[in-house]
Amino acid sequence: MHEMPVTQAFLDMALEHADGRRVTDIYLQVGRMSAIVPDTVEVFFEYLSKDTLAEGARLHFEILPVAMTCQDCGRQLDLSEWSDDAPHIIMQKAFVRGCECGSKNLRVTGGVTFGLVSIDVEPGEDH
Amino acid sequence: MTKNIPILKEVTEANSLLADGLRAAFAQNRVLVLNIIASPGAGKTSLLERTIEQLNGELQISVIEGDPTTSIDAERIAAVGMPVVQINTGGGCHLEARQIQRAMDQLDVSNADVVIIENVGNLLCPTGWDLGEDIKVVVASLPEGDDKPLKYPMAFLTAQALVINKVDLEPYIPSKVAVMRENALRINPDLAVFEVSCITGQGIQEWLDWIRGELTRKRSAVK
Repeated sequence: MHEMPVTQAFLDMALEHADGRRVTDIYLQVGRMSAIVPDTVEVFFEYLSKDTLAEGARLHFEILPVAMTCQDCGRQLDLSEWSDDAPHIIMQKAFVRGCECGSKNLRVTGGVTFGLVSIDVEPGEDH
Repeated sequence: MTKNIPILKEVTEANSLLADGLRAAFAQNRVLVLNIIASPGAGKTSLLERTIEQLNGELQISVIEGDPTTSIDAERIAAVGMPVVQINTGGGCHLEARQIQRAMDQLDVSNADVVIIENVGNLLCPTGWDLGEDIKVVVASLPEGDDKPLKYPMAFLTAQALVINKVDLEPYIPSKVAVMRENALRINPDLAVFEVSCITGQGIQEWLDWIRGELTRKRSAVK
């Protein structure tokens, strides 16, 4: 449900940057902690883009992993061995193990955003 | 031959820009703004009622109520005697900055000390939408389960304060205050945590002192 307003938001941004040209592809970055479900975005996009210059555009999702940083030594933790786990499980495991420096003072520093990277547009008459 | 146009922006950027404008306007009025986020039934409105009753006569508080429908919550706040605007999202699961901007037309904050925005009851959607607040407060009630912070990490990660409500029910349920506190602080060690009961009044004074302190802090920063 909450994917609808964010879908409308990136659709608006894409159309603004397309400046009257047809949008063929939209490249998005979805953090694993962002609680955005790509399949749901697709459904809303199909509905919201109807009769706009982005109708029929392909959506490309790059999934960004959860990233955590040690607040004491500044290291970014290697969480790759748990990459198939759910984000909250990754966090739990990281907090139990801590940083290699021994600190458990960790912060989530990545995988929380939903970004619009770029769009592909067809050449327009005056561009 | 298509052409690639780089954009590299957060999807919610338009909202964030609007929120920055609101924040500047609030700062000019020297108003502290709280955005209260919680699941339905956690006790957001009850916390507001206790807060307003206790601070009545000391601080001028204005309230913006967000709900999918009805003005039940606004009526509860108006009954306590504070200016309130109800926003009905028509089913929408969170408030956005443009709704706050519209609410400002109906709410004169020039004499207000604190504006409290009660977001739509939901722990997922409101977290990504900046409303121009100074502080996000997450309210989690003990009966919801002490593992709530682990299930909805974004709410706890983006908040600066946590109010654990309904702590008076602890003897009757498996959920434990200490465990909820620990789970929340794991996700966000900077959280200011308050253990309260809006029914018995336990912990409310500490919460009010914190609001007073944050208002003072903001006013000394904005001369």
